[in-house]
Amino acid sequence: MKNKFLFELGLEEVPADMIEPAAAQLRKSVESLFEENQLAVEALETYSAPRRLAFLATGLPDRQPSREEVLLGPPVSVAFRDGAPAPAAHGFAKKMQVAVEQLQVVKTEKGDYVAVKRTLEGRETPDILATELPGIIASISWPKNMYWQESRFRFVRPIRWLVALWNKQTVPVRFEGLASGAVTRGHRFLGRSDVLLKSAGEYLERLRENYVLADVEERQTKISRELERETPKGLKVISDPELLHLVCYLNEYPTVLRGSFNSEFLAIPQEVLITVMRHHQKYFSVADEKDALQPHFLTVLNTSGDPEGKIRKGHEKVLRARLEDAAFFWSTDLKTPLGGRLPQLDHVLFQEKLGSYRVKTERIRRLSALLDHGKDLETAASLSKCDLTSDMVREFSELQGVMGGLYAREEKYPESVWRAVYEQYRPTSLEDASPSTLTGALLALTDKLDSVVGCFAAGIVPTGSSDPFALRRQAQGLVKILFDHRLDQYPLPSLIEAARSVLKDQIPVSDQVVADVLAFLTGRVRFIFQEQGVPFDILNAVLAPGVGAVYQTWLKAQALMKMRGDADFEALAVAFKRVKNILAKQEIVLAAVSEAALEDPAEAELYRSFREIQPGLSAAAQAGDYESALRKIATLRGPVDRLFDAVMVMAEDARLRNNRLRLLFEISDMFLKIADISEIQEKPAE
Amino acid sequence: MPKDQVTFQGLIHTLLGFWKDYGCVIQQPYDLEVGAGTMHPETFLRVLGPQPYRVAYVQPSRRPADGRYGENPNRLYKHHQLQVILKPSPDDVQEVYLASLRALGIDLSHHDLRFEEDNWESPTLGAWGIGWQVLLDGLEITQFTYFQQAGGQDLMPISAEITYGLERIATFVEDKDSVFALCWSPNASYAQVRQREEREFSKYSFEVADKDMLFDLFNRYEKECLRCLDADCALPAYDYCLRCSHTFNLLDSRGAISVTERVGIIARVRNLAVRVAAAFVNSHEE
Repeated sequence: MKNKFLFELGLEEVPADMIEPAAAQLRKSVESLFEENQLAVEALETYSAPRRLAFLATGLPDRQPSREEVLLGPPVSVAFRDGAPAPAAHGFAKKMQVAVEQLQVVKTEKGDYVAVKRTLEGRETPDILATELPGIIASISWPKNMYWQESRFRFVRPIRWLVALWNKQTVPVRFEGLASGAVTRGHRFLGRSDVLLKSAGEYLERLRENYVLADVEERQTKISRELERETPKGLKVISDPELLHLVCYLNEYPTVLRGSFNSEFLAIPQEVLITVMRHHQKYFSVADEKDALQPHFLTVLNTSGDPEGKIRKGHEKVLRARLEDAAFFWSTDLKTPLGGRLPQLDHVLFQEKLGSYRVKTERIRRLSALLDHGKDLETAASLSKCDLTSDMVREFSELQGVMGGLYAREEKYPESVWRAVYEQYRPTSLEDASPSTLTGALLALTDKLDSVVGCFAAGIVPTGSSDPFALRRQAQGLVKILFDHRLDQYPLPSLIEAARSVLKDQIPVSDQVVADVLAFLTGRVRFIFQEQGVPFDILNAVLAPGVGAVYQTWLKAQALMKMRGDADFEALAVAFKRVKNILAKQEIVLAAVSEAALEDPAEAELYRSFREIQPGLSAAAQAGDYESALRKIATLRGPVDRLFDAVMVMAEDARLRNNRLRLLFEISDMFLKIADISEIQEKPAE
Repeated sequence: MPKDQVTFQGLIHTLLGFWKDYGCVIQQPYDLEVGAGTMHPETFLRVLGPQPYRVAYVQPSRRPADGRYGENPNRLYKHHQLQVILKPSPDDVQEVYLASLRALGIDLSHHDLRFEEDNWESPTLGAWGIGWQVLLDGLEITQFTYFQQAGGQDLMPISAEITYGLERIATFVEDKDSVFALCWSPNASYAQVRQREEREFSKYSFEVADKDMLFDLFNRYEKECLRCLDADCALPAYDYCLRCSHTFNLLDSRGAISVTERVGIIARVRNLAVRVAAAFVNSHEE
């Protein structure tokens, strides 16, 4: 029989979102414990549920392998005189508690040394576990800790029991006043409060009998299966992976239950209904094939069923009260026109130095005027933050923007206006879609731009651990919008300048801040492109000249990716690096290349070839056809190589030298408008 | 099951009986307007310092902004909390709490009960704790908190605070859709006992209260609190701190406080609470 070791940490209910990361930490610590102690394990499973974190290790050896230890003493030259042990040898032998005869000679880099070799017996595995597990428990870190007893040990929630079983034997682990045993606890109401485990291997099974599914995959499978089973025919559950993950960790024995609500509530916008059900009650919503919400919900209970229908009745009653509140908010909010809320925004602070949301709204409006996209954008900008004072948004902050859009729709604003308000916070992640309309994209863009530039000017710069205004996410959203909507008419530097001009009434934006914001946004461009699979060296090549228009930068990267592997192009990249090195060391006096001074046929040929491709190259770059542009550049490979073969650029004759430098400079300058191809590595970088 | 257990007063009686048998001091509601059972000195001050203590009491809790003129079936200007403090918290505190629900005749194996993360925090009291809201078939019936800090003071030993929302539990036990339909006693409904009070106090909080007078009172109460502190009277000082807190709530429901002012006023009440807590602990140590 293979050895099995079970460890379980029994806790009071741990917050659902913290369980999985803790289980991952536990797994990692246990793996390194095994590795450090040379304990080979065949299988390691971790289990986690609201009241427990556990692992089961299969196939551990009985003990560590024995190993040889070499303890070095003095050099042989000191320890022995004329072949006989000197005092140094006696001293070392005494210290090591061996006879002098047992000393051995070991060769080292520094010469021969006297040494003692000993075989160390490996420790017994359960013994190692008993010693090391307390440290592993204590090392689990949690987002928020608490005290519960006088020992002043802090943990996520109180620890109430420990199980440590080596096959059938208890391994004595002591921690925070608790001693390990073989007794775990079942479901609070359906199982036994003391479940005796006869051996480590029966953990999952005994718990299952006591209505605890300790394996999260088992819980997830049960939930997914039952969600499907409980959905009425012809309807579907509105997919919500985040909620699904949460309910997996909220229950030890999940069971899906269907309930219904009065269809009169369907008069409330479905965005609101879904949020009410999800936010407070963690219910899944149900829709028909056309995505119209239906008056049902699915909830995940922490029990085995509801034969009498009492639980369903309870949940339906709670939901009814919540929906009545929502209906009340919806109807009261509609009594005040959205635009009429603007003055109230005076009292809602955005940021101390950047003023209230009223002031921010005005900045967004002025910025959108600068983008010159017409009246609807300015109207949307004026309305954009008004929903912050609505009862609904005060209750459900995640509905900001959405509510403003819905209220604007009720007030019969044109679709381009209400939809822009509705989608103004998009995209919230790389996966999230940008606003669907151009007006919406520009509104979202100006809002994020104002926040990023304003906060940087106010000294709020994201750090590794702190980013209270979510500037990283906002900057990423900004770049993603420019990319998704191909808004190349707005290069990053001019956007930043526009924001600066609008912010200046509240706060001066220094040149340094402008540079910092540009670097920050460039960093986001780099991140987004990287996520899209652009290799590192190509990113360097396209970002080196500075990011202007985001989508053009993307096209350049795509063209470079296609050109890589083209022999001429790669060789040219190498040559270009040489050009750059030469130019970097020289002061170039700007003047036209003198054709008369091109005395070597090789330089004359390069000049001619360059002049030949120049018009086509410019035209291709202008048209965004970077692949043809690069192909034209690649045709210079031969002439460039021949130039370097035939002439010394740094000729003694200043006239020749300067002329050659000017030729190289002109070529390099032309290339750099597209990308710094000297960054391209010959082999694709990872 | 005795008949009075399905009344509001029977519910209170059963729960207090349970905690009396557990060894708690049964206290009376504090005789000032407060927003929650936590503000009763039997919680706020008792959790400070090292002395063990166990107490249970009902606290009528006034929240002017939650008033709905007695027309909303679930929201009230004044609701009732049953508050239990166990200091230090026993190891089986969750099990004891669940036993108290069984004492109400709730068969937990036929219901869906959950402890969901909810960390309580009171900015005005400089107090916070870690714990859960207890959901019974989706209804929040209890706030369960391990107190970590009160009046800005780190606490040790740690107290467990169990706050039952009595109206919520009663609507569950009596299976009613509205609090006003509850039976307060076998002969009187909750509406008969309380609806007029809800109507008039909602009207007062939203429409009638004199803002200038309230601002004036707030300033005076604050001054008096500080004067009491100077005279080493921590308990009377705390009374004035509570008066400030309730006055602030009234001003808030009257819409007299802007968002920017709000932060400042909360900080003033908090300052009082922090100084009272410090004075209370110091006078204990002497």
